[in-house]
Amino acid sequence: MSNVNISKLKEIVGEANVIDSSSEMTKYLKGSGKPAVVVLPGKTSEVSSIVKLANEQNVKLAVGGAVVNTQGITGGIAMVMSRMNQIVEMDKLNLVAIVEPGLLHKDFILKVAETGLNFPPEPYEVETSSIGGCFSIGDSDSKSFEYGPTRTFLLGFEMVLPTGEILEIGNKCIKNVSGLDFIHFAVGSQGTFGIFTKLLVKLLPQPEAKKAVIGTFASLHKANATFNTLIKRNVHPTRMNLINASFAKIAKPGTEGQLVIIDLQGFKESGKNIANEVASVLTLAGGLDVKIIEDAVEYDEVINGWLKVRAELNAKPERTVEFVVGPMKMPQALAQLEALTGDLGAYPGVIVEGLLGYVGLALPEGTEKLAFATKVNKLAMSLGGNVKGLLGHKLKAEVYNDAEMWKQTTSLLNELRQQFDPKGILSPGVSLEA
Amino acid sequence: MLSQTVVKRLKEIVGEKNVVTDKVGLLTYGYDGTLLSGEALGVVSPTTTDQVVEIVKLMNEHDIKLVPRGAGTNESGGTIPSQEAVVISFTKMTKIHEIDTENFVAVVEPGVINFDLQVELAKQNFYFPPDPSSFKASTIGGNLGECSGGPKCFKYGVTRDYMLGLEVVLPNGKVIQTGGRNFQSEPGYDLTRIIVGSEGILGLVTKVFVRILPIPRAKKTMLALYDKVEDASQTVADIVAAGIIPTTLELMDNLLINTTEDFTHAGLPRDAGAVLIIEVDGYPEDMDEQVKTIGEIASKIAKEFKVAQTAVEVDQIWTSRRSAFGSVARVRPSYGVNDITVPRSNFPKAIGGVLKVAKDFGVTIGVVAHAGDGNLHPLILFDQRNKEETETVHKAEQALCMMALDLEGTISGEHGIGLVKKKYLDKEFTPAAMEAFRKIKRSFDPTNRFNPGKIIDL
Ligand SMILES: Cc1cc2nc3c(=O)[nH]c(=O)nc-3n(C[C@H](O)[C@H](O)[C@H](O)COP(=O)(O)OP(=O)(O)OC[C@H]3O[C@@H](n4cnc5c(N)ncnc54)[C@H](O)[C@@H]3O)c2cc1C
Ligand SMILES: Cc1cc2nc3c(=O)[nH]c(=O)nc-3n(C[C@H](O)[C@H](O)[C@H](O)COP(=O)(O)OP(=O)(O)OC[C@H]3O[C@@H](n4cnc5c(N)ncnc54)[C@H](O)[C@@H]3O)c2cc1C
Repeated sequence: MSNVNISKLKEIVGEANVIDSSSEMTKYLKGSGKPAVVVLPGKTSEVSSIVKLANEQNVKLAVGGAVVNTQGITGGIAMVMSRMNQIVEMDKLNLVAIVEPGLLHKDFILKVAETGLNFPPEPYEVETSSIGGCFSIGDSDSKSFEYGPTRTFLLGFEMVLPTGEILEIGNKCIKNVSGLDFIHFAVGSQGTFGIFTKLLVKLLPQPEAKKAVIGTFASLHKANATFNTLIKRNVHPTRMNLINASFAKIAKPGTEGQLVIIDLQGFKESGKNIANEVASVLTLAGGLDVKIIEDAVEYDEVINGWLKVRAELNAKPERTVEFVVGPMKMPQALAQLEALTGDLGAYPGVIVEGLLGYVGLALPEGTEKLAFATKVNKLAMSLGGNVKGLLGHKLKAEVYNDAEMWKQTTSLLNELRQQFDPKGILSPGVSLEA
Repeated sequence: MLSQTVVKRLKEIVGEKNVVTDKVGLLTYGYDGTLLSGEALGVVSPTTTDQVVEIVKLMNEHDIKLVPRGAGTNESGGTIPSQEAVVISFTKMTKIHEIDTENFVAVVEPGVINFDLQVELAKQNFYFPPDPSSFKASTIGGNLGECSGGPKCFKYGVTRDYMLGLEVVLPNGKVIQTGGRNFQSEPGYDLTRIIVGSEGILGLVTKVFVRILPIPRAKKTMLALYDKVEDASQTVADIVAAGIIPTTLELMDNLLINTTEDFTHAGLPRDAGAVLIIEVDGYPEDMDEQVKTIGEIASKIAKEFKVAQTAVEVDQIWTSRRSAFGSVARVRPSYGVNDITVPRSNFPKAIGGVLKVAKDFGVTIGVVAHAGDGNLHPLILFDQRNKEETETVHKAEQALCMMALDLEGTISGEHGIGLVKKKYLDKEFTPAAMEAFRKIKRSFDPTNRFNPGKIIDL
């Protein structure tokens, strides 16, 4: 049985915004937990009242942009932010915007582009991601070498803490070291420090020109080698990505071979020259159908192809292993990896973000993920990197045989979480340990 | 006073010559970039992480607090031993472990001087973007302790943006490793980010993984001269509106033009109301167009606009700017450095606000500013020996902070809170935010041993 006081919730947000019939609830939920109710708040004070209610009744609560992960909230409350989806302010003079967390990423970037500005962070799920979710996950993407990871774009926020108080922090200044940096610390906290109810986001002017250079390669290694050549030539594109043959068909139907995508965002003059330089490097290295893309529609198609593949990879986390090494270590990493995987071109999916030294692998059916990840981690560590995320951190600590450090880190993380959420109300499904 | 037992143990840990307990030796460690002072119980300079761990454990056994210190150039009172404490100085941890230009990472100890790292990097045509004007003296540990800015932040961001990972000794004497060698290695919470800018109150940093970048292929330095400071701030707004992101938009007012001229003889006209130093960088083929656009924008209001033609000219301009703080010491014996920031669009109003404070309190204020960031350093000139005048200056400083908050800004853009601005912190932050800071401090340092009394009290 659940303790949730449904009638009280209805008082807070209005009847229409409380859903407790299980058939109507499903479209807001993912995972196997069974929350008692879905609630859609419309403003900050409502979020605060709901969280306070959850505390009083000791009920678990999880939040999501459009869909909530139900892990750990059986009998509890699933809070959906999609009604809070307004752009409160678009301030072109200061290059900032204030937005509500339920605003969809894709709707936001449309508005930002209309204003002549740029919001670089690019979530995996471009279609469904909310801005609140974007900053709650944090992370980096293939443009981060040039623009910085997601946190670079947060200047402040309004947040409802796990105990229901409202916290406001930050301002429109791009330089601010007052107090402790809770602003950036909250990025990536996955709804455990609190629920974002407003975000003060940093924007940039739009680049003067965008171009892409693409090409296909029979050999994944030859394709990848061009990245080292470009880095050595002191060319640092906005992104420098590679998709293996199996995935390339999804990115760009009809592609034969491994697909290289070089994205150049910047100035017109240098853009022209660099595009030519990149195209000759690709051609010299054996690239086929090397092409400079200037047409805006075609450019978007290429980039969207990349995003589609990334989403595909992200859709099956249990069958994905991701790792990073230094960008120039990538040729060694791929060569050694092939000893574990066989021909990488034929592998179910491989993507490389050359500037970040990142590799994402879609594992074949039946692969023992943990055993495989352990091997990959060893390989990555020998090249100065590691498997990504919590799993990577744990594997790394195992290799160092440093149980002590791992224990220290997790106990610090848990202490922080406990300080903010003494009753363990918020996002119980989020684990800070692997 | 430290007991003989503690002194003996400290000497065993770091060696005789790395422990200071005599009055004269302690004196310098009682000061920093501010006018405050204090007296340390002792100073200990470790050379390895293991020694840091041993020191922390020893201090815990004897219930003694620690104040971490780099070069001591901070402008916030952050290294003043304001309570009974031992100063732990990182100036002997100066190893550059590794410079890996291929993978854009350098690994350094916290005591490495920013300039020394730049020199090593420059040999390989790389650099570390954060370069506070104090870069010839300040350490990487201190830079990260304050999350320092500098003249390049508009385009390149602040120290925070170049910290990939840290090795940290916690107040319980345990060592953790945060982040890694790339953007993607932080699991759980982003501990690197909360330690950056924490002014030594959460942990002692013993190793730093920093992001390094290739030196841009081209750079252009420009100078625009104005009759009035307000005019210069209009150019700043116009450049940003044109979608250009310069690396630098530095401003100095007439007072600073004159004091730096006394010092450097760079040839700035002494009658100008303000000078704006503008720099853009990137690919050579993009320079001309940007310089042209900026020239057109500036010339609308400036009485003179010029592009530096030689490296010597560029150097001269920067020497002027970098000597700004020190140069005013010739005018009056003391000066207080302020560090307020407002949203860029309020920059002209902030300039007006500074002029008003000067008038209202009858004090002399010179202005240096990272104008592109809305970050102003009003320098108040006075004589510290004059009690009454000093009182007035404190009131003026408070008025500057309140003015920044009224303009939706912050009381610290890059110098930190330390002791100096602690008393105004609750004017900027709500009780909930103040409590969040305390929660974080409590999680790391429940018994308040690291740099006690800085930023917040528990
Ligand atoms: C640059 C970048 C790179 C990314 N890379 C990856 C990747 O490598 N792998 C991967 O799995 N995902 C990645 N993501 C995240 C992925 O794209 C997410 O699905 C998306 O960003 C989250 O949006 P959402 O609205 O779907 O969030 P949801 O799925 O609804 O929520 C995601 C998390 O955020 C919390 N949350 C949501 N809204 C709020 C709020 N208002 N306040 C507080 N917490 C909230 C939720 O509790 C949950 O923990 C990346 C995102 C970005 C921005
Ligand atoms: C002339 C002048 C110009 C300046 N220009 C600028 C500028 O342009 N931009 C700017 O941002 N600042 C500037 N500053 C301020 C100051 O130089 C910076 O804050 C600098 O980063 C401090 O470095 P430091 O080595 O002197 O650190 P310190 O002053 O010794 O320490 C700074 C803080 O970091 C902590 N700390 C030091 N080392 C460690 C460690 N290893 N672990 C944990 N905590 C540690 C200390 O406890 C203290 O709180 C200037 C100062 C002067 C005097």
